[in-house]
Amino acid sequence: VRTLACLALSALATPALAAPAPRVSFESQVVVLVVTTQDYDEWRPWEKKTPETRTVQAVIVDGSLIATTADLVENATVIFVEKHGRPLREPARIVHVDADANLALLTVDKPGYFADLKPAVLAPSMPTEGQVSTVRWRSGQLEISASRISRIEVETSYLGSLEHASLIVETDLSGGGWSEPLFADGRLIGLTFAQDEKSATVTPVDILRAFLESARTPGGYREFANLDLSWEVNRDPALTRSLGLEGEPRGILVTRVPWGSSACGALLPRDILLGLDGHAIDAAGNYEHRRYGQLKFTQIVVDGHHAGDVIPGEVLRDGKKLPVKLTLRPARSAHDLVPVRTGGAAPPYVIEGGLVFRELDGEFLRTWGKDWEKKAPPFLMTSYDLFRTTQTPARRRVILLAYVLPSAYNLGYGNLETLPVERINGRDIDSIADVDEAFRHPEGDFHRIVFEANPVRAEVVLDAATLEKATQEILDEYQIPERRRLRETPLPDLGEACPDRPASPGPP
Amino acid sequence: VRGKSAWLAAILLCPVTSAPLVAAPAIEKSVVRIVNHAQRPSWYTPWGGGATQWTTGSGFVIEGGLIMTNAHVVSDSRFLALFLYGDPNPHEGRVVVEGHDCDLALIRPVEPKLLDGVPALPIGGLPSLRSMVETYGYPSGGDQISSTQGVVSRIDRQLYAHSAADGHLAVQTDAAINPGNSGGPVVQEGKIVGVAFQNNKAMESVGFFIPTEVIRHFLADAKDGTYDGYPDLAVRTASLENPAARRLAGMQEGESGVRVDWIAPDSSADGWLRTGDILLRIEGQPIANDGSVASGELRLPFGLLVDRRQIGEKLPARILREGTRKDLDIPLKGYPENLRYSNQYDRRPRYYVYAGLVFVPLDREMVKTFGDDWMSDANSELVYELLFRPQGEPALLKKERVVLLRRLDSPVNANIPFFKNILVDKVNGRTIDSLEDLVRAVEENRAPYHVFEFGYFGRVAVLDRAAADKANAQILKDYGVAKDRNL
Repeated sequence: VRTLACLALSALATPALAAPAPRVSFESQVVVLVVTTQDYDEWRPWEKKTPETRTVQAVIVDGSLIATTADLVENATVIFVEKHGRPLREPARIVHVDADANLALLTVDKPGYFADLKPAVLAPSMPTEGQVSTVRWRSGQLEISASRISRIEVETSYLGSLEHASLIVETDLSGGGWSEPLFADGRLIGLTFAQDEKSATVTPVDILRAFLESARTPGGYREFANLDLSWEVNRDPALTRSLGLEGEPRGILVTRVPWGSSACGALLPRDILLGLDGHAIDAAGNYEHRRYGQLKFTQIVVDGHHAGDVIPGEVLRDGKKLPVKLTLRPARSAHDLVPVRTGGAAPPYVIEGGLVFRELDGEFLRTWGKDWEKKAPPFLMTSYDLFRTTQTPARRRVILLAYVLPSAYNLGYGNLETLPVERINGRDIDSIADVDEAFRHPEGDFHRIVFEANPVRAEVVLDAATLEKATQEILDEYQIPERRRLRETPLPDLGEACPDRPASPGPP
Repeated sequence: VRGKSAWLAAILLCPVTSAPLVAAPAIEKSVVRIVNHAQRPSWYTPWGGGATQWTTGSGFVIEGGLIMTNAHVVSDSRFLALFLYGDPNPHEGRVVVEGHDCDLALIRPVEPKLLDGVPALPIGGLPSLRSMVETYGYPSGGDQISSTQGVVSRIDRQLYAHSAADGHLAVQTDAAINPGNSGGPVVQEGKIVGVAFQNNKAMESVGFFIPTEVIRHFLADAKDGTYDGYPDLAVRTASLENPAARRLAGMQEGESGVRVDWIAPDSSADGWLRTGDILLRIEGQPIANDGSVASGELRLPFGLLVDRRQIGEKLPARILREGTRKDLDIPLKGYPENLRYSNQYDRRPRYYVYAGLVFVPLDREMVKTFGDDWMSDANSELVYELLFRPQGEPALLKKERVVLLRRLDSPVNANIPFFKNILVDKVNGRTIDSLEDLVRAVEENRAPYHVFEFGYFGRVAVLDRAAADKANAQILKDYGVAKDRNL
């Protein structure tokens, strides 16, 4: 049997000369996770959809820890581990997840389970060229495919929030992207999280190591930092001269500073950010990374830093160079007005009089299918594109009347859907909890739902006296077990609103 | 370009079988084949003349030596050739008046006596549902006149596809649609009951014709030689089927109406109606909670009663405002601001080119540069600004938004990071509320730089003024832009 032979080889292997990495057997480092997930039905958030079971890869990273990408265990109902390619399954449980970094740690509680497994040795950094191995279990066989380093690029993570350097490889492995570990010289260099044809994107060992170290930190997990800045390249000499920058164009032009971001309070629109943490930023927004060469400057705050760190920067503001200090804050998946992904969280909703209210988020928009960006209602999509990152202290979420469960009570409103709610009974609506509360305070004999400006309708009026009875009847009729689900964890406190420029500076 | 038959065409090919109607030969004599040699400008290359093409349609002779047809048969015309029944020779025609909102036009032949002896067709009324109508015209598939029959299957408000922004009464028949029928007469008992004009690709065996109330409205409007178009209340109303909504509004048992949700600034309704008003009646007719009114055997959207009025007339309306019922006589106006939502014809695109940057107004033609699916394909800021933002800020309809459409590449502008399909908010510190504002902001600037600030994402672009001024003429020459503007 191949597995046994490999194990035997592994036992005999000796460290190769001074080279730090031994020839290790991947068999004892790579395991299979059989994950059953069940997503919420975004249109009937009180229900879950048909469960799906998939087989993904994971890697042993510590005595008794298994690492995989977080998106694969999102909404898991049960997870089993298979080791050594054998179909013997043991239940695993999640120990730690960082959805923004897209990494998860699991363990198996069965005593002695890890005795015949071996943690992978983490490479000190990503290789920047050459051939590496992508490893996965398939039908009980270990499949080792050649992959070639293509480039290192700063990209956003699965949740669309954290930006960090990722490795892009051209691989011989087909159908990958399911957390297959990659090794160079026997050492772990990353886990794939996406693959398009032959090109795979890899969460690098740098992020994995920082995640592991942080997860082991006694004082609690230290989150990754993110810059969350809107900016434009600054290669136009006319632009930079007009802003008072001497010499060649350099630095990036800050265009929008979102609330709750690391830049909030430190940078202003129209600043030219010249340097950060001692690195000079060029006109295309790149800096020189000590190992990886030219990288997008947003990597600076991830590299060796965590949320909470304070780093220095230099800006050109109103023609003068100024030092600034940025207090780094975590990635923003929850900080968007319209989050791209919610990491599998149960969608909050409330049903009143047959009107189904929910938050607007990417999970809901993606229910329009593969071409959701083209097929979702233009009114929602344009708002999503333009205002997605513009959360403010006063406006943290968009609450929709998602649709109406028609009944005699809500006569005339049965065809309304996807309308953003502004006020209910005179109260501003910024969360499902606000909706729930507002319906407890009718305006006299009525409930009045006022929508944000839209092309369809300004207001819905319902009878207050019969709301309770009607809602119960509708819940029974449509077989809905729960009238509401409020947010499980409150939105994070993002502090003060960001200062803006005092006044528009006008033409320079 | 091979000739195409006019693109919104109509009417079932159903040969008249047995006994031909007595009036038929006279009607055929009055039907005209119209060949339109048109030139349509490109809104993407607005300084060019545009491609030429020819289309064929139909028309018919009416009183006054005129030929009636669809506006879409004759729009963007450079040369109109008319072919009379049994006459193989083309005769030049000239458009007298066009109504793009109602898709009707009048043509007069250049030869003064050409129509002498051609019977003018009398204009009748609205045909009944399920009655038979005949159509005449020159659809594709041959040069000879073609006549068909169909049943009147529905009478309702329809979107008029020519402008794509206007809705009026239209009659649906069970006719198949053939390009080239457009503009041809629809006849019942020897009288015109409509003008064939469009089909609906989503439905089978369905054709539409423009009924005589729309034709008469057009003729009355055009009597003075200019066409002013339809009056527009320019409000959005909401149905009130829910009894709670009616009670909150203070409506009595048995009272019905719709709530005014939105009013366009400086429109007929502005100053007369307020948001939250309940429209109870217009023209003395009660408005149902779904917004319909009784009209003979039909129920039609109440807006069709406004359609029956001309600009300058008054619309009697009864409203309920804060518990009080009031009778109003609302003077009716057109709402030309709505033209931004219409397809444009017979006009040159407006634009301004400076230092290779091409600026145009934001309107339907601009977003159509993204193709027919512009609502999903165009940049979000353009769609939002055109369609949705005025819902919350109606005053924007009094302004014109300007778009940097594209860039004619040159060393002077090559480093601008954003250069196409982007909204211009400010130029040199001035807020831009029209294309003319932008031209002034550029030309009156004396600072060393031109600073363009764009909407939504804090984007900015800068040109060195001296370098841009210097390069401007050469860029226009290199790219073949004969005129730098059409304002």
